[in-house]
Amino acid sequence: MTDLLFLASIAAAAAGAGVLGAILGLGGGILLVPILTVFFGVSLPYAMGASIISVIATSCGAAAGHLRSGLANIRLGLFLAADTVAGALIGASLVGVVPERLLEVLFGLALSYSAFTTVRQLHVEVPVTAAADPLALRFALSGSYYDQLLARDVAYCAIRVRRGAAAMFAAGVLSGLLGIGSGAFKVLAMDHFMRLPMKVSTATSNFMIGITAAASAGVYFGRGDIHPIIATPVAVGVLLGSYAGTRLIGSLRNTTVRKLFLPVVLYLALSMLLRGVGAWR
Amino acid sequence: MRTETLVARLLFFGGVASVALMLAGLIDLEVHAAALGHAFELPRVAENREAGRSVDVFVSMPALVRGLRQRPPDPVAIATAGVVVLLLTPVAGLLAALVGFARERDPAYVVIATLLIAALLFGFALRLGG
Repeated sequence: MTDLLFLASIAAAAAGAGVLGAILGLGGGILLVPILTVFFGVSLPYAMGASIISVIATSCGAAAGHLRSGLANIRLGLFLAADTVAGALIGASLVGVVPERLLEVLFGLALSYSAFTTVRQLHVEVPVTAAADPLALRFALSGSYYDQLLARDVAYCAIRVRRGAAAMFAAGVLSGLLGIGSGAFKVLAMDHFMRLPMKVSTATSNFMIGITAAASAGVYFGRGDIHPIIATPVAVGVLLGSYAGTRLIGSLRNTTVRKLFLPVVLYLALSMLLRGVGAWR
Repeated sequence: MRTETLVARLLFFGGVASVALMLAGLIDLEVHAAALGHAFELPRVAENREAGRSVDVFVSMPALVRGLRQRPPDPVAIATAGVVVLLLTPVAGLLAALVGFARERDPAYVVIATLLIAALLFGFALRLGG
């Protein structure tokens, strides 16, 4: 494979990851790491470094689009990112102290339950919530966006803020402890606990993942895992793909986004359980 | 300008600027591929190899600055500068949010944004300083 074809192929794969990442609120690492290692023969450390680049580039491209369209809620994002970063700092300091396998099994079970509730909510387009949480009012965790498909403004306000914040903290502990991304957990916490519209959840997650990834990016950079030759086509592809994804999400229903998200939750639940019982590393 | 617009613009232009630098470095590298051995700074390669790290990347800011200052600049250093700009873009986005919240007189979020920026900069200072 020539240099140019190699770089163009990586950029094309990254663009695909960027489109999906912008719609699902993920950094694209789940897709990109296996693609780079299996199809392009990139070593795992460089693939992981490229994954961090992909997360931040997705966040830049997608958050820029989502913030303009009003889908991403900046206050909600920062409120939850603070919980995740606090969790990540504690998680990183707990390495070797708590039994990782037990945690993996517990999170695998929690994710399995989330997959079950996702199936139950599969046809809920816009959640109907009762009284607003006082904490949501205190921290302005509400907003509205114009839904192209419904042809109206959709107003929302978070409920069960404490539970959502606790889930984000736990997701941070897990990502700090196990070194895994937590984009999917962020979406689940907003969708399940705080009952926010799915598109608001994924768009706000896109804004947050850049912040939490930047917190750990220094580690990858310092280890020499971010190779510019791999990072460049990834960043170019992901930035373009994620910006295109923000245009695409406007024409999708919340239920469609949730259906696309379900396989990701199932995959994460299964991989976490298998890691916990030692069947997969 | 709304805080959301300010942050969106910063994230977008940060992303574009970083990608432009990375592409410039990569194109430079391809153009000068034949002279690659000369473009690399040997002390950095040796330093990285001793530390068991990849030899053809930059892992510290002082080495990166040296790579950019040499004439002609090391193409890998130009691309790495793009990587660093990308890694710092979320921090810049947070700074923009902080300014926006301060203008909107929202003390709770000024505190939250400040704490997040402090946590990120602490992480960077810890990892990129040496």
